[in-house]
Amino acid sequence: MINTIILSWVTFVYFAAFVFYLFLMIIGRTFWGKIATATALTGLIAQTAALIIRWRESYELGFGHIPLANFYESLIFFAWAIILFYLVFEWRTKSKSIGAFVIPIAFLAMAYASIAPGVNNRIQPLIPALQSNWLTSHVVTCFMGYAAFTFAFCCALIFFLKNREKKNTMKSAVLLEKLPSLATIDILIYRGIALGFIFLTIGIMTGSVWAHYAWGSYWSWDPKETWSLITWIIYAILLHSRYVQGWRGKRIALLSIIGFASVLFTYFGVNYLPGLHSYLQL
Amino acid sequence: MSKKKSAVWSFFSSVKLAVFLLALIAIIAVIGTLVPQREGAAELARHMSPGLFFFLQKMQVFDLYHSIWFFLLMGFLALNLIFCSLDRLPFAWHRFRRKPSPGDEDVFRDLPAENIIITEQDQNSAAAIAASLMKKRFNCLKQQEVKNAVVFCADKGRFSHLGVYIVHLSILVFIAGAVIGSIFGLEGYVSIIEGEKVQTINLRNSDTMLPLPFSVRCDRFVLESYNDGTPKTYRSDLAFLKGEQIVHHGKLLVNHPLTFEGFRFYQASYGLAPDGRAVLTVMKDGWKTMHKTVGLGDVFDLPGKEGQVHVLRVEGNLMKMGPAVKLSVRTDKSETAFWVFAQIDKIREMNPQIMNQLPMFNPGLFRPYFFVLTSMDKKYYTGLQVSRDPGTPVVGAAAVLMISGLFLIIFMPARQMWVRIEREGKNTRIMIAGRSYKNKPGLAREMNYVTGKLKQKLEKVR
Repeated sequence: MINTIILSWVTFVYFAAFVFYLFLMIIGRTFWGKIATATALTGLIAQTAALIIRWRESYELGFGHIPLANFYESLIFFAWAIILFYLVFEWRTKSKSIGAFVIPIAFLAMAYASIAPGVNNRIQPLIPALQSNWLTSHVVTCFMGYAAFTFAFCCALIFFLKNREKKNTMKSAVLLEKLPSLATIDILIYRGIALGFIFLTIGIMTGSVWAHYAWGSYWSWDPKETWSLITWIIYAILLHSRYVQGWRGKRIALLSIIGFASVLFTYFGVNYLPGLHSYLQL
Repeated sequence: MSKKKSAVWSFFSSVKLAVFLLALIAIIAVIGTLVPQREGAAELARHMSPGLFFFLQKMQVFDLYHSIWFFLLMGFLALNLIFCSLDRLPFAWHRFRRKPSPGDEDVFRDLPAENIIITEQDQNSAAAIAASLMKKRFNCLKQQEVKNAVVFCADKGRFSHLGVYIVHLSILVFIAGAVIGSIFGLEGYVSIIEGEKVQTINLRNSDTMLPLPFSVRCDRFVLESYNDGTPKTYRSDLAFLKGEQIVHHGKLLVNHPLTFEGFRFYQASYGLAPDGRAVLTVMKDGWKTMHKTVGLGDVFDLPGKEGQVHVLRVEGNLMKMGPAVKLSVRTDKSETAFWVFAQIDKIREMNPQIMNQLPMFNPGLFRPYFFVLTSMDKKYYTGLQVSRDPGTPVVGAAAVLMISGLFLIIFMPARQMWVRIEREGKNTRIMIAGRSYKNKPGLAREMNYVTGKLKQKLEKVR
């Protein structure tokens, strides 16, 4: 189908964007920055078009539904949200220096969707449990939250890279010179997490409302529910440490990496535990 | 005495305790997803020494989320939240009440140069421009004339100071909703065979049956599939009866529960009922002699009184060869048992020798009779989840509270701003100052933005 062909091309476009952002970091000429942004934007537009085409194709197959209904579609949307989030950030702050860290995550999600064995890229009909208006709002809010947390995670990685470099002053310092200052990165981590936290909260709540209609209870301690709560608690601890205890820098960066690990487990790991959220199984 | 009290107070109002409790709750939640809970624990029991299993069961490890440990932690968290909030609320309240006044002169002290504009505009028109700009971005604009200057002040997002306490309150409301649900709520399930009615449900996690104040009948069960065989819709047409009278009826689908007298019914599962009914045609010497609708256990006489036919089994799909009934024809001397398949012609086509190899598959085994399974009405049962949870609206209210609190904290930061416009010889000097308790970089951005906008407008007027 045409949409999956476009999407596999988009994977390469994101890889190219990543390479251009690397060139920008190493060579430092603004030319590469412009190319990198243009490439990422092209990828986003093509991906959006592919998603719309996929949506329409599902109607032609006779069971039209938004392309957010299986593991493949969720990975694609995850990548889309990461790129969208990053480009909005770049446009608002005019800072291109962290693209080389964020873009590859979107590339990996896209590549995993098309390469990993057993990921079914066909449009499948909706089983009765997924036939709900809450599907869209639940999946969209959750994955916007995941994208924001991914952004914070990338910033935390940059923080540790820079922080280590500061200690042994010498080599490759030139490379990291262009990255934002540690204080700025700290603020970026916080803002990513604050936004992600709101999205995750709304995501859990829309999920609860849906569960109330579909499963007969707003909370059933299904592993995915439980892990989303664990993720929520980790980020809640982070926000309290920052607001009240005044934690900054290293500790916050570390907590945001732990939080992201929990996000990944909520997304992928939970599928290996028995539970109600079986729609995403490979 | 008072010293001891303050020690308790400071223990319960510490954020460290909050972080510790949250971490502990998270750890218990993790364990709960790794160790099988409730029904799943039975499997584990076979791989474990009975003593250890018994000990773990007594410690409620197999029902962690409903264990006394978990409830205790939640109770501590609630106490911690209350103490923390009461401890800090007065400060927040003070900040919430403290409106900016044009008389606060010290905000202009040590003002960075980029927040000062010198313009050739006269004082009055500069003041008008500044006032209109501030009105657009802030609330409660106030104005005061001092010596040769005029000072404006305004603020926004004052409610942000209360956001944290709204979120804390929402968590207490959540806990209250969950407690109400666990005390007054119930959860059960029931399966109803198409056409039949029930008046009791099985309660979950106990062996008790709960009588309902009404009865439920399933008039029809409909199952639709996509072309590839995955289920598309399943639906039960339910009627709620009081005595013999239908009081309410409706269609029950997945994602569309039905509520009656506080009980919510959910379409949870379905299956084939064990007692379908089959229509048999009995032939004698190639002639149709009778039709008979039979169910499991039915007995009827052959038309010529040669014997009695017993219906031993009725299967909707036997060995993937379609509907079949097992009959036994009993006479005084013998008993002949055989299967009657609906699709016998198809089966014979696939394997022409089957009748000789397996006499049990021969519907003409009892001569001179020959049985044909004309049709079989499949009967479904519908599996319903039944719940009643008066805590749900409370939890809903908590959700609304939490979201509004979070929005206040993150998207509506509290900021106050002052603009002082004074004559300086021929020119006019404009100073822009701000105050914020949190998010200083955000305040700096906003002040730079306002300064830039003001410069632009002053240029335009000229």
